[in-house]
Order: sequence, then structure tokens, then C-alpha cells
Amino acid sequence: MSNAIGIIFANSGSDNLQGLALDRPIAAVPFGGRYRILDFALSSMVNSGIRTIGLVTPHQYRPLLDHLGAGKDWFLERKDGGLFILPGVMHSLAGSKDTFCIKDLQNNLEFLQKDYVENVLISSGDQIYNMNFKDTLEFHRDKHADVTLIYKAENPFDDGSHNQILLELDGDQKVAKLHDKNSLEREDLAQLHFVNIILIRRELLLDIIEKYGSYGCNDLIEIISSNIEVLNIFGSPTNSLIGTIHTIKDYFDRSMDLLDLRVREQLWLGVDRTHTKIVDNPPTKYTLQAKVSNSLIASGCSIAGEVINSIVFRGVILEQGCRIQNSIIMPKCHIHANAKTNYTILDKSVIVQRENVLKGSVNHPLVVLKKTVI
Amino acid sequence: MKRQECVAMLLAGGQGSRLGGLTRNRAKPAVSFCGKYRIIDFTLSNCTNSSINTVGVLIQYKPFLLNSYIGLGSAWDLDNPFGGVHILPPFLGETEGSWYNGTANAVYQNYEFIDYYDPEYVIILSGDHVYKMDYTLMLKFHKEKKSEITLATIQVPLEEASRFGILTIDSDSRVTKFTEKPVHPESNLASMGVYIFNGTTLKQALIADKDDYLSQNDFGKNIIPHQLNIGKRVFAYKFEGYWRDVGTIESYYQANMESLKDGHFLNIFDPKFRIFSNEDIFPPHFVGSTAEIENSLICNGCTVHGKVSNSIIGPGVYVGEGVEIRDSIILPYVKLHKGSSVHRAIIGENAEIMSHCNIGAERKIGSAHEGITVIEDYHLITEGTVIEAGKHIYRSRAI
Repeated sequence: MSNAIGIIFANSGSDNLQGLALDRPIAAVPFGGRYRILDFALSSMVNSGIRTIGLVTPHQYRPLLDHLGAGKDWFLERKDGGLFILPGVMHSLAGSKDTFCIKDLQNNLEFLQKDYVENVLISSGDQIYNMNFKDTLEFHRDKHADVTLIYKAENPFDDGSHNQILLELDGDQKVAKLHDKNSLEREDLAQLHFVNIILIRRELLLDIIEKYGSYGCNDLIEIISSNIEVLNIFGSPTNSLIGTIHTIKDYFDRSMDLLDLRVREQLWLGVDRTHTKIVDNPPTKYTLQAKVSNSLIASGCSIAGEVINSIVFRGVILEQGCRIQNSIIMPKCHIHANAKTNYTILDKSVIVQRENVLKGSVNHPLVVLKKTVI
Repeated sequence: MKRQECVAMLLAGGQGSRLGGLTRNRAKPAVSFCGKYRIIDFTLSNCTNSSINTVGVLIQYKPFLLNSYIGLGSAWDLDNPFGGVHILPPFLGETEGSWYNGTANAVYQNYEFIDYYDPEYVIILSGDHVYKMDYTLMLKFHKEKKSEITLATIQVPLEEASRFGILTIDSDSRVTKFTEKPVHPESNLASMGVYIFNGTTLKQALIADKDDYLSQNDFGKNIIPHQLNIGKRVFAYKFEGYWRDVGTIESYYQANMESLKDGHFLNIFDPKFRIFSNEDIFPPHFVGSTAEIENSLICNGCTVHGKVSNSIIGPGVYVGEGVEIRDSIILPYVKLHKGSSVHRAIIGENAEIMSHCNIGAERKIGSAHEGITVIEDYHLITEGTVIEAGKHIYRSRAI
């Protein structure tokens, strides 16, 4: 049994996802053909033996709860522990820069108080990864750490702007300082990117909440950073792939990365599965006219058209003569005959009528909002 | 205990020996069907969709994989506080007990289970049929006719009628005659092996059958004819829809292939009547740039680099470059390596075909005979092997 419980901040929103996060948090954005972004953090925790997970939800939590239900598909429907919904404070969704807002935790103090485990693993819900935290938990215990910050030695995806915190470690993996990447002048510092996953002693977290909870929206990372002298903070490395989704470009690129076998091997084809809601779709049907190459296709689709370098979610209908290129087609879209898409992201249940042509570009994929009829 | 109106007894213990290599390691109801399903999914889903929430599954032959697949029945929403799925294996009592000897004997031995729920009606189902049926309509018919035993029936082509139990009925749908596998069938109305009994009628019938030493303790062969003879009210409910018995390699192959046709019930996602399945979690399937797929079903977790036509590819299958699959059924987790070709074959679960094999090769002599080639589960076919059409490859049994 694990000596940690988990908390996932599924309440961060973004104005840079061109409408994909209009009425859902980033965590609930569909990703990779059959998942939601949140599934990756949730499955990693479950696969690491964590059986109690609290989910900090945003104001618009319907899409999240619709997806999660009682957590059965993640084996979180249990007597001992399970999935807990932690309603976040209202103002935290749009545009908030904070990663782990103390106020959100203070709102749900009982979740932390009633458990008796030693540690709390906290992750943001807007990252794509498949990580087993068992090593980190051991590392944390062996080092008698107050806080363990997970970092990656280099940024696997060159997405420059987001992973803004770099760690400076001493010889014993102890964190000497946290640097903001943008204000960093020293070029010589090793690029150890903090990946927004931390392990913290539960008692310490409760102390922090008690002390800082009343001061408006404080960020947990900032608090840790300003108390670096008094706390025992360590950095633990990970080699798993991590992709943060903040902008539409991130979303598009991280999705297309899945067409690379090396990425799929690390994310999906190992022992630890990524779990998601099960819909019981029939297998995907290819007709005589189907032409598919270098693409990921989920179940329950009917494919009569051409698909190249694309990702097709569950229950999509592609009619004869249509051509899907470099595109992401979310669940239940219907593309009629001879319609064409290139560098396009169709949100759920979009209908594209005959002969329409939708075109974006590599750096600016075209996004079509949910349930649009074109 | 809440009294149940109708309890289902699902017969899932048969060996299914006519499915050859496919049932070497598992009971027939646990055999993979149409990619992501297993045969028992259809009957269990029908129960759920017909609001029958108490199901006894009678098992006997090779039960491990079947039991672990069924679990608590949660995949079919059958894990409920009012009944749920109960696995019923043969057992020993203080003085009696034996293997199940016939379908009727299996139900008889578990009468304690039925008594526990004390249902007004008992529906007898079989775990090896592929169909989508709302049993509530049949139950409604049963009540309307004040029937004591109702048989679900379907019209079959007359030339195939001698494979089934054939009924003769009067204008009121009351059964006048029932013959199991007749040489000269009188009608084409076949029994589907789905029966609704009044609780009391079933109990009496089973006890009478138990005391009959000449009986083979089979519903079709003994119970139904006997109950007709003693004048019970037996009615035939006509089911209109798709129903297939998949008890032989040929019928299993045909039924799978039929699901490739347009409008087949499996291809249409019907949110009101879903076919549930206890699937493994896999990512979407990946289609490589050298792949060509036509008129086929592909499941989650597959990787396809080769050519696939008129075939069904189960979950987690790997199809290497240059592989050619035609008119075949590839069961879950099979690996097909570079340059192999597969024609009119059924490749068992977890089998591995190394590179440049030819499965289902045309025979040089007597090529008029085109059988279905079957490779058993977990079988490894070494590089360059040629297997002639119609061969069934089994492993030699370890002792």
C-alpha cells in the first residue's frame, strides 16, 4: 500500500486553446483518440498504487464529472479511499497563473485532515505523461524530505515558454534554489525543468495551508520557494515524456507526436496503461474505399474516406471521398462526402457538409468549436 | 431478499469441441468474437438490456478464463444489490453431487439458487449464441398466452432445419410438436434454445426428468418433448432479427464475416441497446504509412503496417510490414511478422506467426477443397512455415 494520497489540480483553464477550453478546463480536453488530458495524471497515480485521489475542479465541472463518474474505470470506486471531488474556488479557472492555489486546498481542508497517510502527491491536470511514482516515493522516504520536486533534465518537447521553473541542485539532489526561467541570466545552469508534480509531507502541507490560506490566492510553489532555507527540499529526476498543454500549438504538436512510435512506446505501450472512460463502442469499420496512412484511429468509427497523418476519436463517420490530413477529429464528428480538412482540429460532434474545405497551417491549426455545422 | 420476477440461467458449461483449437484453452462462451467481443457478451448484454438483473452462469468446462472475464458482471452493469451474476460450478453435497450431466441436470443441481430468489419465471439461456434480443417482449408474450413454457423461435432456411429443434405450431402459436434435429423437418421454425418457464412448471419438470433413467437430461431432447406429451401449455414466440449459433468452425467463421456487412447489428452503435464487453484498455489503433485496409474491422491497440482485406482484427494485434491478410479472423494479441500471408484462417489468441509464413496456402492437389485454417491459441509458427488450407494446427498436449 502506498504512503501517499494524490491531488490533481484539474481547474486550470486557458485562453490560448482557441475555444477547446471554452467551457471545460484543460484537464477535460479530449486527447489522443480516446482520452482526456486528465486521464494521464490520474492513471499514473493509480498505477503507482495511490488509491485516494482528490480532484480540484473548476467552476464548469460538468464535463469532468461526466467523464469520471464515480471513478470506476480508474479503479477508484472503493470503500477505502477512492475518488474525491474537491470543488475549487470560483475565480481560479480563466487566466489564473497559479499552478497550485492554496485557497483551493483550504476549501477542501477536510480531505487532507481526515486521512492519516504521510505524504501528498500533487500534480497539475494539464500535462500528458505516463509516470510511475513508486521510485519518487522511495526517494522521498530515503531522503527524509519535506518536499520532493520532480524534474526533467531536459525539456523533451521544445515548448520554451511554459515550464518556467528551473531547479538548482547541490550534490545530494537537495534543491538549493528555484529559478524563474525567464528572469534567469546565468546560461551555465543545467536545465533541470520542474514538471509541476510535487510530493509533500501531509502535515507540512496542512501547516502551510493554515499559515497562508487566509492571504488570498497564494501559490504553493512560491511558498516552498520562499521557505527554501528552512525546508528539506529535494529534486527527483524522471525520464518519462511530459507535455504540457497550454496553447493550441502545444495541443496540436503533442497530439501529432503520438504518431511517432517512440512517443507511443513511452506513453502507451509500456506495462502501465492509461485508463479512461469505457464506452463499449464496436470496432472501427473500414470500407472498400478507405485509405488510411500514418494515423491513430479509435473504436466505433466508420471510415470510407482518406486519412493521412491524423488522429480520429471515437464514433467518427468519414464518408467516401473526404480527405482528412494533419487533422484531429474529436468524437462523433461527421465529415460528409468530398469534404477536406488540413491542419484542422474539430471539437466534438462537428458536422462538415459535402465539398467543404477547411484549412489551417502548421503553426496555426484551424479550430472548429463543438457542435458546429459547416 | 427482494423477490425477482424473472431469473436467468445461462448455460455456459459446454465444451464446444466442434470449435476445435479455439476451445482448447477456454470454454466456448469465452471465445473472442468479432474483434472486441466474447461470445457470452451478447447474452449478458441482452439480460442487462431486458432488466434481468439476476443471472446464474452454469459453468463446467475450462472455467478459469470465462470466470475471470465475467468477474462480478460489472462490465455488463450486472453488479447490482438485487441479484447480480452468480457463477455456478458443479459441486458436492454431503451425499450427492456430480458433474453436470446435460443442460437440464445442470439447472436441477442448482435449484437452490433459483429457490433463493423464488422467481415467478425462469429464463433459460445459452452462452454460445450471437444475437440481440429484448427478453421482456418474450416474457410479455408468455404472460399474454398464459403459457407455462415459451420457446423463442426463428425461421431458418428449410435445408438447414435438420440442424435445429423444429416446432410445429397451431394458429394460436401453441406448440403441437417438437422434434430435435429431425431428418425430415416439418417446418422451418427452429428453437433458439431460449426458454421461459413458469417457476413451478420448471421445478416439476426437472424433478420428473431427474427420476427418468432413460432421459439424457437435456432441455431440447427430453424436457420440452415430455412436457408437450403431458399436455402443458407450450407456446412459440417468434423472434425476428439476427440470431446465429456459433457452435462450429464454419458457423463461427460465417457469423464473424457477416458482421462486415453494412447494417449488421454490431456495426450500428445503438445507445438504447448496447452490447457491453469487458474490454482491455488499449490506445487507439495505429495505421502505418505502408498499410492498406479495406472492408475490415480493426480494434483498439492494433498496429497495422500490412495489407488487410475482408478481415476482422481483434484488440492488440500487430500486423507487420508486407503482411497480407485476406478473409480471415485474427483474434486478440496475435503477432504477425513481416511478409507473412494469411488467407481464410482463424488465428487463435496470442498466437505468433513469424516472418514469411503462408497460412491457408492453396493446396496443389485437390484445390477444389477450400477449408478454413485454424491456428490454436498461444501457438508459435516458425519462420517460413507453409500451412495448407483447411488444416487445424493444435499444439501437442503437455501431460
